[in-house]
Order: sequence, then structure tokens, then C-alpha cells
Amino acid sequence: MVFGKRTVVRDLSFDINRGETFGFLGSNGSGKTTTIRALLGIYQPTVGILHINGRPFRPEDGGKLGYLPEERGLYKKESVIDVMTYFGRLKGLSKKAASSWSLEYLDRVSLGDKARLRLDKLSSGQQQKVQLGVTIMNEPELLILDEPTKGFDPVNRRLLMDIIETQKKSGATVLMVTHQMEEVERLCDRVVLLKDGAAEAYGTIPEVQARYGGTTIRLKFSGDIPLSSHYDVTLQDNNYAELTVTDNVDEAVILRDLVEAGVLVRSFLTSRLSLDGIFVKVYGTHSEPAEA
Amino acid sequence: MARHNLGTVVSFEVTRTLTKKRFWIATLIVPVVIGIVIGLMVTSNTTTGSQVDSQKDAKFTFVYSDASGYVDPAVATALGGGKAADQAQAIADVKAGKVDAFFVYPHDPVKQPTKVYGADRGIFENGKYSSVASEILVASAQRKIGDTALATLAQGNLPVTSVTYKAGKVSGGVAEVVPPLMFLVIFYVLIVLLGNQMLTSLLEEKENRVTEMILTTLDPTTLVVGKVISLFIVGLVQMLLFAVPVIVAYLFFRSSLNLPDFDLPTLFLKPGPMVVGVLLLFGGFGLFTSTLVAVGAVMPTAKDAGQIFAIMMALIFVPFYAISLVVSDPQSLIVQLFTYFPYSAAVTAMLRNAFGSLDPLESGIVIVELFSLAAIMLRLAVRLFRHGSIEYSKRVSLRAVFARRG
Repeated sequence: MVFGKRTVVRDLSFDINRGETFGFLGSNGSGKTTTIRALLGIYQPTVGILHINGRPFRPEDGGKLGYLPEERGLYKKESVIDVMTYFGRLKGLSKKAASSWSLEYLDRVSLGDKARLRLDKLSSGQQQKVQLGVTIMNEPELLILDEPTKGFDPVNRRLLMDIIETQKKSGATVLMVTHQMEEVERLCDRVVLLKDGAAEAYGTIPEVQARYGGTTIRLKFSGDIPLSSHYDVTLQDNNYAELTVTDNVDEAVILRDLVEAGVLVRSFLTSRLSLDGIFVKVYGTHSEPAEA
Repeated sequence: MARHNLGTVVSFEVTRTLTKKRFWIATLIVPVVIGIVIGLMVTSNTTTGSQVDSQKDAKFTFVYSDASGYVDPAVATALGGGKAADQAQAIADVKAGKVDAFFVYPHDPVKQPTKVYGADRGIFENGKYSSVASEILVASAQRKIGDTALATLAQGNLPVTSVTYKAGKVSGGVAEVVPPLMFLVIFYVLIVLLGNQMLTSLLEEKENRVTEMILTTLDPTTLVVGKVISLFIVGLVQMLLFAVPVIVAYLFFRSSLNLPDFDLPTLFLKPGPMVVGVLLLFGGFGLFTSTLVAVGAVMPTAKDAGQIFAIMMALIFVPFYAISLVVSDPQSLIVQLFTYFPYSAAVTAMLRNAFGSLDPLESGIVIVELFSLAAIMLRLAVRLFRHGSIEYSKRVSLRAVFARRG
């Protein structure tokens, strides 16, 4: 994807399997939203195309796709039900079906009494719920959610996640763009990490964790930790230390080496590097201020 | 799906406009004001008419002096007047209320004003003095001619009918000009009423951040075309509403309003100019609408877009600065320029079409030009909307849009 002389996304290709939840991760400015917009034809990509079930995506087939953009908004001067019915009609539903689906959804998200109100009379969280409803209308096969939890309070975030789970159970494939790594670890089957418009990592979460430093050992001890080629001491504070395993050696070997070196080990816990940690490792301590 | 979506967009846009209180307040205020004005005019004309009638019959006392010798004493006497013996005394009598008025006819009433001195009876009633003073002179002149027909001829109120020929056939005259001119009226009304809405129609998606939802559901061309069609429908509704009081006034209050008795059945509907008129209307409307929509797609807010609107409005009124040449010398350079410059072409060509000076070749060129440019502008508007609308609060750089290879 090229803007003028600037290449914003390059050589990026990934598959999402039917029914899986896929995390599309990256720092601000790494090209996530640009990629999504290019996939959906909002930007016409210089090269590349989005295939759904092996066929190129066209906006006219929008019924198969549910897209929740990062920039949220609907027709604010219109009533909730009119806007939802309109989008339902555009997605191929009949007026009656769109209207009844909308009323049912509004009841489900506790907005049943707001159906006739203008959208701008709703709080921003309520508007987000309406927008999510528009996104999942007509049971899309592919859900693309760009920062889905942005602007949601914890209660509504839970509700949103429940709705995503429901969609997933009913067979939808979900592509999630987010900075919320705990959501990714909880929901996503596979991820791609985007850096400067190119894929930095791609695979299941354990695969990505294995690639970025693998295991961390949290140690409570007495004595002196010896130098070793098996680990780096990334943190040491009095009788506490964190060791990052640098090769494929079994953690038991490290424990044995420590004991043999005279270290009194009081606690020895192993853990994989979290996605948060990987994120910081990949993107450094600061990220770009804005998306392309 | 695309056709279904076009219908959905048109239905949504028209319905939401026509169900807004704001639309009806803004629309109905015009016919209501027109109705009030017509009502006042009817009332006023009725009152004025009855006042004139009563003034005609009203008798008042007057004296006169006549230096011209044109006043027939019999006429003055019949109207209740007599000759004044002394001018100063006559004025003093008026002041004292002994007579109502004193008329001083000068030596040459054609070149010099007749002076009237009268007792003040109020602004409206005072008019009776000058009416009677003039009537005395006219009636005296008519009596002097001694022949009613000659007197009427001298007044110049003569019925004349004319027959003109064009290419050996009787031409329709004004009756032939009026029907194609209606397309020009419709064009102006539509642009003036809807121009601002055209300009802001796509801004709504931008300002409300709806663009991305729309672009993934709908082809942008369908959205833009749907908006243009719905604006046209809304404009027609407004025009019909504006026309109601005018039609009612014409049908029921024609005489009270002193409207000319326009004989509608005599209007001459020539198929050629009517077809050309319709095509020019649609082509011109298409070009202006797509241009305004394109401008709206570039601008971040309605306020920014409004500055461009004034320029567009000026362009459609420019041909009227050369209206006399458009009618009398259509081959002059300026008229030719206006005929082919895209944004003055529709108005100039519609005028020339109505006055019969637009030949078939010129009509064809202008129509093709308008429709082609409308199609190009529509494509441009779609492209600008596609790229510009997701710039949200930023003004779109055309260079950036065209540099964007995607």
C-alpha cells in the first residue's frame, strides 16, 4: 500500500481460518488500520486483495462482512431504529426483518426503550452498542473489529466480549485489531504482529511467545547467581531475580546448575513472556503517534 | 444488490428529509409568506378598487383657471366645478374650506404641470383631486375631437394581434417561448433551493464518521447517485409546495390581483425545444449537483464548503449579465463563450433554446458536454468521497488523492 512515495504496508499476507479469532496487533502507526481499510476497499490497495472463502470481497456483498471501524459514528440526527433498519436493508435484509432484528438486539443490550430516540440523545457507550449491532446484523461470516473495546466501560466490555463469543460460536470468523493484549491472549487463536507495515511475527500465541524470549524464571533465593549461557539475568533486587532463558535448555537444568553453584533456591517459578512484554520488546518503549 | 441498495438509499434519504419538522418549517414558510402576500394584495386591491369607485362617484366642489383654453366648461360643470374669478381668492377659499379644490391649468398642459390646491382628506383620498383634474382635460379633448373612435385611437389603447413566420411557418411568438423557459425556472429553483444541501449531503457521512461503515456496505457510486436522486425528488416536492399558492391565486384571485389573463391552451408546445429543454435541465442539474457533491467531499465542514457555494451560485447567474445579447445576438463571442463554458452552458443554452436561437448542432454539443462532464464529475466526486471522507476533520489535498496509487 503506497501513499504518494511512502510505502505504508508491504508484502503482508495472512490467512484466517474459518471460525477462528485472529488478532491483528501493532503499535500506533504500524499500518493496522490502513491494512484493514485496504482489505475492505476503502483504500484501493496498490497490490493485493481480500478474499473471503476464496472469492474477492466487494462492498455490495457487505452482508457477509461485519466491520466495526476504529472511527465510530452513525447518522446522529436519525432515530436508532431507522439507522439500524437502513443498514440492515443495505446488508440485504427486508425492512421487516431488519426492524425486528434491531428491536430484538436493542432489548438484548438494554436499549429497547431507546429505539425511537435520536442517536445523538444516547450516551457514547450506548451509541457504541448500536454500532456493534449494526456490525453484526445479518449474521456476518467475517467480523472485523478495529479496537472493539475502545470507549467501553468494563461492564459493556464484558457484554461486547459475550457478543463476540456468541458470534464465534455461531461460526463467524473474527479479525480483531487491538492494543488490549489480555483480550488477545484470552480470545485469539492466532495473531500477526505488524511493524512498519510488515509482519514481524505470525502464528499461534505460544509460537509467538516462543519466538520472543520464550521462558522467564522468577526466582527467590540466597547467594550469588552464577553467569550462564542458558539465561540472562534481566532483573535482580535483593533476594529476587528474573532470568530470561536464552536457549532451548530445560528449566530443570537451570535449577540444577543454580543449586550446584551454591544458590539457596526458595522459590522457582517459570512463565512464558506475556504478549504485553513481547509488544514492548518489539516496539520499544514508545510507538508512533498516529496511524497512516 | 446495487439496484436494491440504490432504492434503499433514495428511500432513506427522501424519507428522513420529508419527516423532519425543520424541512417542513423551512419549506412551508415560503408558500405561507406567498399566501399572506397574495392575501394582502387581494384585500388591498379590493379596498383600493372600492376606494377608486367611490372616488369616481364622489362629488366635491372645485373651481379652476384655464390658461390653455383646452378645458371645456361644460365638462367642468358636469363634474361640479366652476371657473375661478381670482387665483389668490380661490386658494384662500380652499384654505378656508369654502371649496374643496382649485385647479390651475397652465398655458401648455402637455409640458407644464397642472397645479392642484385641495383640502386635505388623507393620503389616499387626496388622489381624487388630480384624478378629476386630469379627467377634465381628457374629456375636454375627446369632446373637441368629436369622434369616439378617433379619441380612442388618440389614447393608443388598441388591440393588436400579430402573426409571424419562421421558415415559412407561423411561429408561436411568446406562447412558444414560455414553455421551454419553464425548464430554466425549474433549474434555478432546484439549484437555489438545493445547492446547499448538495454541498453538504456527503459532509454528513464525513462529520458523523459513518463513511467506513457505508463504504464496506455500499458502493460509493450508489451512495452518491442515490443522494443526487433523492435531492431531486425533495426539490420537486418543494417546488410543488411553492407553486400551490401561486396556482390558487391564478385560478381564484386573478382579477383581484390584476394578473394578466394568460390563455394556457394557447401555449405552443413544440416537441424539439421541449425535449432539448428537458435534456439541458437534467444535464445542467447533473453537472452542478455532481460538482457540489465533489466539493462537499473535499471540505471538512459545512462552513468550509459554504465558501465554494457562493462561487457556484454566481456562475449560474453570470449569463444574465448578457441577457440582451443572448436574445438579440446569439452568435456574439460572449454568448458563444457562455454557451459552451460548462457552468454557464445550461442557463445560456436553455435561454437560447426558449428564444429559438439554439440550432440542433449546438443543442447536441451542449447536451453531450453537460452529460459527459456530469458523469466525469460524478466519478470524481465518488473518488474524492472514497478518499476524502476518511480524512474526517482534514481538508483533502487533491494532489494526495491523485498521488495515492491506491
